[in-house]
Amino acid sequence: MKPPPLVQSSVRIFDLSLGQMLWSRRSVFLGVLLGGPVLLALALRIVSTLYEAGFRINGVRAAGASIFGMMIWLLYLRFIVPILGVFYGTALIADEVDDKTITYLFTRPIPRRAVLFGKFLAYLACTVLLVLPSVMLVFFLVVPTGGGSIGAAFPSLVGDFGMLIAGLAAYGAVFAFVGTRVKRPLIVGLVFSFGWEPTVLLLPGYLKRLTVAYYLQALVKHEMPQDSAVSVLMQVFREVPSVAASLVCLAAIVAGTLWLSGRAVENREYVLEQ
Amino acid sequence: MPIHDQGYRRYGGDKAPRGQAWMVIARNGIRHMLGKRAFLGLLLLSWFPFFVRAVQIYAAANLPQAAFLAPTPETFRQFLDQQQIFVFFVTVYVGAGLIANDRRANALQIYLSKPLTRSEYVFGKLAILMTFLLIVTWLPAIVLLIVQLAFAGNFTFLRNNIFLFPAITVFAFIQVTLVATAMLALSSLSNSSRYVGILYSAVIFFTQAIYGVLFAVTRSTSFSWISFPANLAQIGDVIFRLPPKYETPWLVSLLVIAGVIAASGLVLERRVRGVEIVT
Amino acid sequence: MTNAADPGTGIVVADHLSKWYGQVIGLNDVSVSVPPGITGLLGPNGAVKSTFMKVITGQLKPSKGTITVLGEPIWNNPSLYFRIGFCPEQDAFYDRMTGLEWVTALVRLNGLSDGDATEMAHRALEAVELTDAANKKIGAYSKGMRQRVKMAQALAHDPHLLILDEPLSGMDPIARRKTIRMVKDWARAGKSIIVSSHILHEIESMTSNILLINQGRILAEGNVHQIRDLIDEHPLTVYIRAEQTRGLARAFLAQDDVLSLRFEDEAVVVQTGRPDAFYARLTDLAASGELGAIHEVTSPDDNLQAVFKYLVKS
Repeated sequence: MKPPPLVQSSVRIFDLSLGQMLWSRRSVFLGVLLGGPVLLALALRIVSTLYEAGFRINGVRAAGASIFGMMIWLLYLRFIVPILGVFYGTALIADEVDDKTITYLFTRPIPRRAVLFGKFLAYLACTVLLVLPSVMLVFFLVVPTGGGSIGAAFPSLVGDFGMLIAGLAAYGAVFAFVGTRVKRPLIVGLVFSFGWEPTVLLLPGYLKRLTVAYYLQALVKHEMPQDSAVSVLMQVFREVPSVAASLVCLAAIVAGTLWLSGRAVENREYVLEQ
Repeated sequence: MPIHDQGYRRYGGDKAPRGQAWMVIARNGIRHMLGKRAFLGLLLLSWFPFFVRAVQIYAAANLPQAAFLAPTPETFRQFLDQQQIFVFFVTVYVGAGLIANDRRANALQIYLSKPLTRSEYVFGKLAILMTFLLIVTWLPAIVLLIVQLAFAGNFTFLRNNIFLFPAITVFAFIQVTLVATAMLALSSLSNSSRYVGILYSAVIFFTQAIYGVLFAVTRSTSFSWISFPANLAQIGDVIFRLPPKYETPWLVSLLVIAGVIAASGLVLERRVRGVEIVT
Repeated sequence: MTNAADPGTGIVVADHLSKWYGQVIGLNDVSVSVPPGITGLLGPNGAVKSTFMKVITGQLKPSKGTITVLGEPIWNNPSLYFRIGFCPEQDAFYDRMTGLEWVTALVRLNGLSDGDATEMAHRALEAVELTDAANKKIGAYSKGMRQRVKMAQALAHDPHLLILDEPLSGMDPIARRKTIRMVKDWARAGKSIIVSSHILHEIESMTSNILLINQGRILAEGNVHQIRDLIDEHPLTVYIRAEQTRGLARAFLAQDDVLSLRFEDEAVVVQTGRPDAFYARLTDLAASGELGAIHEVTSPDDNLQAVFKYLVKS
């Protein structure tokens, strides 16, 4: 008898894992993380309603869409998406190993890489299901401030959704690969997201192409905020690839790292803690 | 008696006085971490900025053309700032599993069934993390001060900046206490050191990101009390007698720091127990 | 004592199989052929039973040598798992799922439709007597129920070979008896079962076919009584309860196959180096009746414990 095809096996693992991910205690962490921007947006909305002069950026009255764009940059793109990628991506297989449930999955007639792919899909579904509503709530709370128009800004929201999904997929895949290869993937993940990427994006040259942020930032239509000297420097050295090139590169990153992760999982022995 | 008793014999030697059990936990924890090559590498790397600064001080003292590199109190403040990245990684590396791993192995019950109080257990664990954090902050800063004295060949700098020694000590201890208690509290909340590491990272970066948004929108630094790194920076500037970076009153920052330490203590008091009390 | 088994005839065949972790040798040049039926894998703690289990279930790759299960190499061969069911030692589940949900989800990984998978899960839970608790969360199960739901997921897809790692661990005596009965029923239904344990009487109650392992090496394999016979350096102890114990003792001592003899309450306990010759004489004496009735003849060390003790300590 032949094992079920890879796609079918992955979908079944996805079915098994999605519920586990959504209803686990980690979702509390996810909820707090994603609720933070919503609460902030609510506070901004309340303040802007009470304080008629509104908010000003560089001395100019800020429209809600600019504030929303800033929140996308500062909260979602630079923090939430990478941290979710590190948190879930590095733990796709490691969690099952730590919980000692990996044995049940690896002694089934499915390729081992189907377990990884299925869990990756579950991670993507889980994070997208939670991140996008958070972004939408922030959008509806913040954009109307300062005389902004939801209708006019709505197409950019759709673009932001696509960008966030691409980011979650890319970071998740990269850190899934890190998780399968490295003993301390969390440290490596944090160094990559909050050390390597911000540093290398400041430097001129080709090094920035060895990041996910370089391609992801090309998909963001909002203006990059100048909240610090680092951001100003980033603006100076910023090179923006085309949207098409970025999408292709991000897809290649996802496909390549997932393939490598699948290979690692197929060949690795997982020794459970006694 | 020709045939000796081979059975169990009670220990009849000296025993350490009560209240020192935390030292056993600390000693073992430190030894365990020092046995890891990767961690030793991280510690060595954390002293790299010290060597750079030492060269700077040497050059300033011995080369007239490098006199502009002469150290000031701000040099030491900046040095401690630069060490923040190593403080973060050492905290995650050492601290995430301190209590989480014991919870995972159900070892808390075993620990607390010995003549060891909960306070001793917590102090022992704190001592492990604080030792390494001080090795990365206080120790290199003090050694840098001594290096400055050695290369200068006189006490002029020290006489003019006599507050530096207590400033480095106080700031390092505030920073290390805040970070260590917060990490230990988070570690007591979970069985997974990975989860704790992410939680800690989220707290640090998320608060910074929220402050970043508020600053970008309001152009005011008075919301800096939201960000943990900013609160520490504010206190650091005051201790080193430098103009504070943020508009937040330093007392507010100090209160936030004290509040976090107190909250961490409360969490530890609730979570470090031999048995879970289910109501 | 037997040496390497004839490869190619068994349900699990290891040929010069070794497994090491860095500098530490786990399995050490193991060559064995496990026949169909119930085989008990025995060894003290630290004997590397679990490593052997992990190698034969494809979780670990051999460092040297080969391992085939049901005629095929197991490592990276997922299709074999259609015919293998594994019940691991660790007490780990998706606690938020019910027993039925969990077993169904795992059976679905065999490529079955939802309906078929649910039906097979129901049958498996019925086989382990968990029908009433099928819709309860596994987190609420007792230890015995957790062991049984583990076995349910192992046999739900009707595998040909069941590999059970310490299946009776944590069970109460009634549950143990039921499980042992289940294992025997499965064997009668045509399945082959490899059961690992360090508790001798559990294995003894299931099977007399054993594989004895210690410190990474196979000490013995086969029928426990045959193994016992082959342990020449350990004389067989025979306990005989009879009317005329002294008369019997005089008759025994007349021949040189009796090494030692002592009296107990209405019985004589003999140690013999040649059990066949001794039993033949005893049979003649009993048949002739000249030394009175012989009420009971047993051998206290013709059992697994004695075999184990002799081989492990030697």
